[in-house]
Amino acid sequence: MKTDSAVVKDAVTSKKVASDKLLLKVEDVSMRFGVLAVLKGVSFSVPKGNILVIIGPNGAGKSTLLKLISGLLSLQEGEIWFKQHRLSKIPPHRISSLGITQLFQDVQLFSSMSVIENVMVGCHLRTRAGFLSAGLKLPQAQADEQRILKRAMSKLSLVGLEQKAWDNPAGLSWGQQKLVGLARALATGSDLLLLDEPYSGLLADEIDKLNQLILQLQRQGMTILIVEHLTDVLMGIGNQVIVLDYGEKIAEGTPDEIQRNKRVIDAYLGSG
Amino acid sequence: MNAFREISSKISAVKLQNRVIALFALVMMTIPLGIGPYPISAMVDVGLYSIVTIGIILLMGFAGQISIGHAAFFGIGAYTSAILTTHYQFSPWLALFLGAALSGGIAAAIGRAMFRLHGLMLAGITLALNLVFYHLVCSMIGLTGGAMGLINIPPLILGGFNFSRSFLTYYMVWIIAIVILGFSLNLADSQVGRTLRSMNTHAGGSENAAQVLGINVNSYKVQILVLSAVYASIAGSIYAHHARVVEPGTFFIPFSVMVVIMALLGGLRSPWGAFLGAGLMIGVREFLWEVMPVFVTGVTGAYELIAYGVILILALLFLPRGLISLFGRAFTKRRATV
Ligand SMILES: Nc1ncnc2c1ncn2[C@@H]1O[C@H](COP(=O)(O)OP(=O)(O)OP(=O)(O)O)[C@@H](O)[C@H]1O
Ligand SMILES: [Mg+2]
Repeated sequence: MKTDSAVVKDAVTSKKVASDKLLLKVEDVSMRFGVLAVLKGVSFSVPKGNILVIIGPNGAGKSTLLKLISGLLSLQEGEIWFKQHRLSKIPPHRISSLGITQLFQDVQLFSSMSVIENVMVGCHLRTRAGFLSAGLKLPQAQADEQRILKRAMSKLSLVGLEQKAWDNPAGLSWGQQKLVGLARALATGSDLLLLDEPYSGLLADEIDKLNQLILQLQRQGMTILIVEHLTDVLMGIGNQVIVLDYGEKIAEGTPDEIQRNKRVIDAYLGSG
Repeated sequence: MNAFREISSKISAVKLQNRVIALFALVMMTIPLGIGPYPISAMVDVGLYSIVTIGIILLMGFAGQISIGHAAFFGIGAYTSAILTTHYQFSPWLALFLGAALSGGIAAAIGRAMFRLHGLMLAGITLALNLVFYHLVCSMIGLTGGAMGLINIPPLILGGFNFSRSFLTYYMVWIIAIVILGFSLNLADSQVGRTLRSMNTHAGGSENAAQVLGINVNSYKVQILVLSAVYASIAGSIYAHHARVVEPGTFFIPFSVMVVIMALLGGLRSPWGAFLGAGLMIGVREFLWEVMPVFVTGVTGAYELIAYGVILILALLFLPRGLISLFGRAFTKRRATV
């Protein structure tokens, strides 16, 4: 994979701007599904404005970790902190309103809705109209509609898909679907974005485009957590890398450090 | 720009829909002038079933939750009205309101308890509710009259009009039905409608995706169940004053199944479907009971259930999106309204 040199330079400079203020802290998190231990005492923390890349082979527990952070799975052991909030016992929609959202590995666009409506659903937290004012079409509900339509459209043009606004998502390419999913996630206005394998299935130029977009979001102050197994793309973009293997964190460091790490080379990069 | 052209075409779709509602209202308001008392009373039934079915469409078609117990909410409305107006001389309108509040409250309690659990839970619980309701109505004889039911329910009276004449009942039922249609269409086209569809796992939704976007899935499920229960209850109250008698058999599982069939038949994607589903089913019922016997001997009404079954199967095979799919975009097109 050819790495865009501009992308690399951006990443290097942004490393310096990343403040030390912690946004997310994962403490000794373990998870089992029945007898299967999927995560074993994983700890790490993410300063605000960082891009953290988590790599690991299939079944390493990457998606499970993201779902624990977004609250879709409930925590069995350990703690997760986000902006002074302890996330255990908080339901997922409340976690989202605190400022965490997730792009799923399989995107999960709403297929009964057009692209723009998908993104409008992402604006949910910005709406106040309930059943009564929506049913009666009160001014508040109409104002909500206009505001979120505008907002959704701007998120869609951010990912370059405003031309597809009224299409059905099923008619889009896989890469475009991922971008719609990203626009929908961005519409929430979250501070922390969890991306589960955003690069998988993308073409080379789509990967470059996504990289640019992610770096742009970082410059705007977002903190981003990316899960992948495509290592070479990510070495350019992350300023912090964690390697998971069979549910264990086997390494953490800068992309350079990870590429030189003996254990990582043996366990993953070497065999990959 | 393409997007703006699209937006303006959405606006015209909204206007088109408003015109279609106005036209529909006009047609429904003129019908009684041309027909006799008997078809009018069948049309009152269509209106009442439509009100319940609109709620089922929002619950099933939008939120993806299945109920096979809405006869209980219809019955709670009917019995609250019947009991309060016969035993306690309440105003019928107050009784209607209290029945709706009671139905909504029971729906909220059930919803809160059940939606934490997943899957077909609601179908099972609403079915159980229907059984319990039926049993209670049959056994609390002092209050409900038991299997004999309650008689001499007063008619609804509004501004000097006595709604005991089906002509006037017709107008009241259809005005309420059209108001509920308008409310439901607004809801369907709003962020609330999108939110409900986003969590409908039977129609391209995902609860996980909805939740990470900040949607309180359980709360929306409870609210839509409450709304559908209130619709059913209002229809039940009007029914009680229209029929002037209530007896338990009306509010049992067959009614619950009937409104689900009407929703499936009409189409789950739009509240409009309710009128098509209810119209067709009541039409078939009347045809078998009232029209056929004129031409053939024997009780053709006995074939009612078979006819419903056959119609449902044919609809599911050939019109899986319901009768509504035969109509244009004014009815089924989903829009981001502006
Ligand atoms: N809900 C579940 N119930 C039981 N086992 C599960 C569940 N979810 C995940 N697992 C198992 O946990 C392990 C880790 O899964 P996870 O999806 O977190 O891996 P991953 O690192 O994201 O893998 P991939 O690269 O394939 O996406 C796998 O063995 C998987 O089969
Ligand atoms: Mg995964």
